[in-house]
Amino acid sequence: MKEPNKVILKLEHISKVFRTRASLFKGDQKEVVALNDVSFNIFKGEIFGLVGESGSGKTTIGRLIVKLEEPDDGKLLLDGNDITKFKKKALKNFRRKVQMIFQDPYQSLNPYLSVYDSVSEPLVVHNVGNSETRKDMVRESLNSVGLTPPDDFFYRYPHQMSGGQRQRIAIARAMVLKPQFVVADEPTSMLDASIAIHIFNILADLQKKLNVTFLFITHSLAAARYLCDRIAVIYKGELVEIGPAENIIQNPSHPYTRALIDAHPRFRY
Amino acid sequence: MVERFLEGWSVYKENLIGKIGLILLVIFALMALCSFFPPMIDPMYHPMTGVDPLISHSTSPSWRHWLGTDFIGRDIFCQLLAGARIAFMVGISAAFMSILLGTAIGMIAGYSGKIVDTLLMRLADMIMVMPTLLVVLILSSLFGQLNIWTIVLLIALFRWPGVSRVIRAQTLSLKERPFIEAAKVAGASHFRIIFRHIMPNVLPLSLLYMTFRVTSAIIIEAALAFLGFGDPSTVSWGMMLQWVWKTGHMFQAPYWLLPPGICISLLTLSFYMLGRAMEEVLDPRLRKEVAQE
Amino acid sequence: MALLTVSNLSVGYHTRKGFLKSVQGISFTLDHGKSLGLVGESGCGKTTIGMALMGLLPDNAAVTGGEILFEDQDLLRMSKKEIRQVRWKKIAMIFQAAMNALNPVHRVGAQIAEAILAHDTDISEEAAMKQVKSLFDLVGIPLDRMRDYPHHYSGGMKQRAIIAMALACHPSLIIADEPTTALDVIVQDQILSAIKNFQNKLNISVIFISHDIAVVADVCDNIGIMFAGQLVEYGRIEDVFDTPMHPYTKSLLASYLTLDKDVVQLNAYLGETLDLINSTPGCHFCERCTVAEAACSLVPPEWVEISPTHKALCTQCK
Repeated sequence: MKEPNKVILKLEHISKVFRTRASLFKGDQKEVVALNDVSFNIFKGEIFGLVGESGSGKTTIGRLIVKLEEPDDGKLLLDGNDITKFKKKALKNFRRKVQMIFQDPYQSLNPYLSVYDSVSEPLVVHNVGNSETRKDMVRESLNSVGLTPPDDFFYRYPHQMSGGQRQRIAIARAMVLKPQFVVADEPTSMLDASIAIHIFNILADLQKKLNVTFLFITHSLAAARYLCDRIAVIYKGELVEIGPAENIIQNPSHPYTRALIDAHPRFRY
Repeated sequence: MVERFLEGWSVYKENLIGKIGLILLVIFALMALCSFFPPMIDPMYHPMTGVDPLISHSTSPSWRHWLGTDFIGRDIFCQLLAGARIAFMVGISAAFMSILLGTAIGMIAGYSGKIVDTLLMRLADMIMVMPTLLVVLILSSLFGQLNIWTIVLLIALFRWPGVSRVIRAQTLSLKERPFIEAAKVAGASHFRIIFRHIMPNVLPLSLLYMTFRVTSAIIIEAALAFLGFGDPSTVSWGMMLQWVWKTGHMFQAPYWLLPPGICISLLTLSFYMLGRAMEEVLDPRLRKEVAQE
Repeated sequence: MALLTVSNLSVGYHTRKGFLKSVQGISFTLDHGKSLGLVGESGCGKTTIGMALMGLLPDNAAVTGGEILFEDQDLLRMSKKEIRQVRWKKIAMIFQAAMNALNPVHRVGAQIAEAILAHDTDISEEAAMKQVKSLFDLVGIPLDRMRDYPHHYSGGMKQRAIIAMALACHPSLIIADEPTTALDVIVQDQILSAIKNFQNKLNISVIFISHDIAVVADVCDNIGIMFAGQLVEYGRIEDVFDTPMHPYTKSLLASYLTLDKDVVQLNAYLGETLDLINSTPGCHFCERCTVAEAACSLVPPEWVEISPTHKALCTQCK
């Protein structure tokens, strides 16, 4: 259920610059402005799409939200609290509530951990449950992503499974603590088209069942339209358009959005 | 994990060098195990104290003494077996300790970066340039005869830098991988990330380097013993060589001179072959099988 | 006379676990100047076909049957030396993530000129550079970028440089294996336009391999749908898209995302990868098929001709 009036995540004037180190052969230190004064809100319970090309800064926003990077300027507020100030206990608490699904299913699972070990990792880290209850929680998570019967998968290893299965395990891992907010960073760009649809359906299902808020990062406007309630378009580190998904597609106001729509392959049939 | 081991084994099996190395190792391991039996059969077969009541000088091989006797009538074959035991012990413990140290330091340096990394690596550099053998020789000339375990410890303390560099490099590349970031996002502490996530990924490399460390440990111990700085109460192959030399039997008793020398060479060679074959198992790129689509 | 006629091609790989039948009995033809799209999910064998055409199959691969007639010569019966004559001069390939194929320490223009000089010994360096200029025009790279190094190029530009390199020796056939994967929509559109452009101007045939049916729809005249090593539907693109017959084709068409049609909940059936080492004699799609009958898994399906330009491999679609 969406609560359109309740803002769960707020970005206020976020800026981030990446500096490359000066070296003998590359001349002066170069600065790359990844994000320039980006602000937007995400409402509780919605699936929010962030669409842009590579280098647009969309992945950086995702990483800032899960605190894999820190912004150079601006504030990030989760439920009204400034997350840039979180340390120790508050940080650990934050990590229970905000999770991430990574782009590359072939690299986002530790090859030496079994499925059970990978999915139960967040439970162990946060000291949730005992060995019996953890098994149940992992079972529930695996069921929710369609890996049934879950016990069959417990002791398998990533290299024994397909890309689609691995990504579902990564999703199960992200959801096992029932987080409030999940960043899905291009979760299907390394998977085939038909498997991608399956993953989208799983995400939509999870959203309904657990009322979790998703930030869906993608380069495909069509995928965002399929899955998301609202979409923001980002170009060269700046937000150029934001609004309900259908509106953006039918009445794009920014020329970049129009270019994206025009470039999308269309079936003439 | 068993499946992984079996898969690795099937690749290993096809490597000729690996097979030869493994066979040699098994032979030496058997030798080491058998070293306990001769003294039980007859006290005269004890490598250190066993003296044949009938012989009190060096003799060539006979039925009584398969490889002959040394200058005071002790059985050379039993000494050889005991030497195998010592070689394994020294080699493996020294290697194990240096790998333990090197892996831990390498992981911490690679993961922490910045100051910690710089300090640890400079320390590694300083130790690496010191000639191990020389330092141990100096120490033993200062402190007198060294106990075998002290020697093992010293070897470990001087040989960890090599492996730490490799582990550090591996850690640096692993650090950026998505599954490590996923662990961070899940809230894992640095300690947990290093020992639960990074360690299993570098351990195969550590084990590989351990095989190479064993070779250097065995050779260092043998050299020390040969030069007279070993533990006089242990019979090692190097010690046997020292006795041959010191008692002037170098050219008179090939049955005494050759066996320990050959054993040192073959054992170190077999560990080295093991390491080479393991490399092929660990690095899929080196394998002869080409991956398909 | 068709440019390329593939008849009953079968290719497999020797693996530790057995012989993997990657491609089974594929047949298709390609005329001069026409384009064919091969669509299927990962593991269906489409890349293997491309490699077989180029003579670039790895050591553990084995062609177990069929022939590849290119300009009336069977590529499979050629010696290594003869294949090298054909490769790149007559058939060129654009690999997946090809941008990594550019040498980072040489300037891009020079690399392409080098490719030209390597295959055509009569041409002078100046003439080669002139050709490079016209190629850059064709693929849409500004001429002032000729002297740049690859790391100055964006992903899309690198891909276009690779296309230029493939075109350098005026091949009659280009095989493009997932050329737009890992590229953004706008860049993808530019690459596809560049391909359509050179196809028209130079009358080059193209085989376009992709898992994304939408991309293929834009560029190709004919389409072949592949599943688990078999060609399951084949025909002119209009025919296949208007009246898809094979259940797999139908599911593929139902599971791609558009911007122009209404948003509908799509149902993608997820089956796991088929065991191609011990495959059943019947239809490979049975497990995922919604209209499968008992006989389907026991008897190999036969080709059903829906029209002279459209056929499907399925006993259920008569």
